Amino acid sequence: MEEQAPRKIMFVNRRAPHGSIYAYEGLEVVLIFGAYDQEISAAFLDDAVFSLKKGQDTSELGVKEFSATFRVLEAYGVENRYVEKESLEKRGLTPDDLIVDVEVVDGATLRKAMGEQDVLLPF
Amino acid sequence: MTFGILVQEGPYNHEASDSAYHFIQAALAEGHKITGVFFYNDGVTNTTKLMDIPADDRHISKRWSELGAKGVPLIVCVAAAKRRGINSDVLIDHARIDGLGQLSELCIESDRLITFGD
Amino acid sequence: MSAIEVGGKNIALDEDGFLADIGDWNEEVALALAKTENVDMTDAHWEVVNFLRDYYAEYKIAPMIRILTKAIGKKLGKEKGNTKYLYELYPAGPAKQACKIAGLPKPTGCV
Repeated sequence: MEEQAPRKIMFVNRRAPHGSIYAYEGLEVVLIFGAYDQEISAAFLDDAVFSLKKGQDTSELGVKEFSATFRVLEAYGVENRYVEKESLEKRGLTPDDLIVDVEVVDGATLRKAMGEQDVLLPF
Repeated sequence: MTFGILVQEGPYNHEASDSAYHFIQAALAEGHKITGVFFYNDGVTNTTKLMDIPADDRHISKRWSELGAKGVPLIVCVAAAKRRGINSDVLIDHARIDGLGQLSELCIESDRLITFGD
Repeated sequence: MSAIEVGGKNIALDEDGFLADIGDWNEEVALALAKTENVDMTDAHWEVVNFLRDYYAEYKIAPMIRILTKAIGKKLGKEKGNTKYLYELYPAGPAKQACKIAGLPKPTGCV
């Protein structure tokens, strides 16, 4: 394949971490994509902001608790990590509630960033 | 134009699989190229040959297999497939089980990646 | 393979020889798992295994090889931070072999 500029690929996470597998299987994809030297972003909005919340305990649900894994995103080459400000506020959360260093951006800024992507992957 | 396709939902339960199939037919008819169809999440269950469908309805996995026979690469995510009991024993002809890196390749090589999901 | 005996106790394994229950791990179990892989555990082997266990405890995943080499280099010295070093210790591949001995879940086989 001929050389081409890195593609801008954004993972658009919208769902709560548990209740469906999208958040977990989406995370598995992000971690693989980091190895391909593209420009990777992960955005968290709507209920997906709960994925990044500190102090989760799934023992009574009987499902795997994987919030700690989001902390490897940076080391795995996910350069941009966005959380939508409005989604946080609507759920009574602040950046201090999150386990990952993220950029909290308003919806308009996030939409603009989405518009600049080559690929959007929804999870 | 070249299109990569991501299918995230299972057959019959959700229209995503049908929509993806019809999109591909329309794109091919217009002379576009499909770089590959990647089955992820419950989408992997599109690719079992154990499907047994009444004759008055579409046979989704057979339809995918026929598309694969025409040269459209059908790629089934190994990790998602293992979770849902799909392996090479039950896989339709003309599909292959492979890693998530293949989805990354589709994103890089295709002009557009189109996701069919919920 | 379905089980190994360690200290008079049967430890269940999956079809690929990984621990069926990752809670069964201890150093004795690790030595028994290493034997199934024909690996003689030296201090250097333990460094990698302990690193993998710490990484898993912190992040709930096994690191991919690129992350592993980088992190090992940072923690244990530059001369150890490369795939050649890891393959010398674990010829069948650090992802598979070292993870097995470290009692981590079987890698899903992506990439």
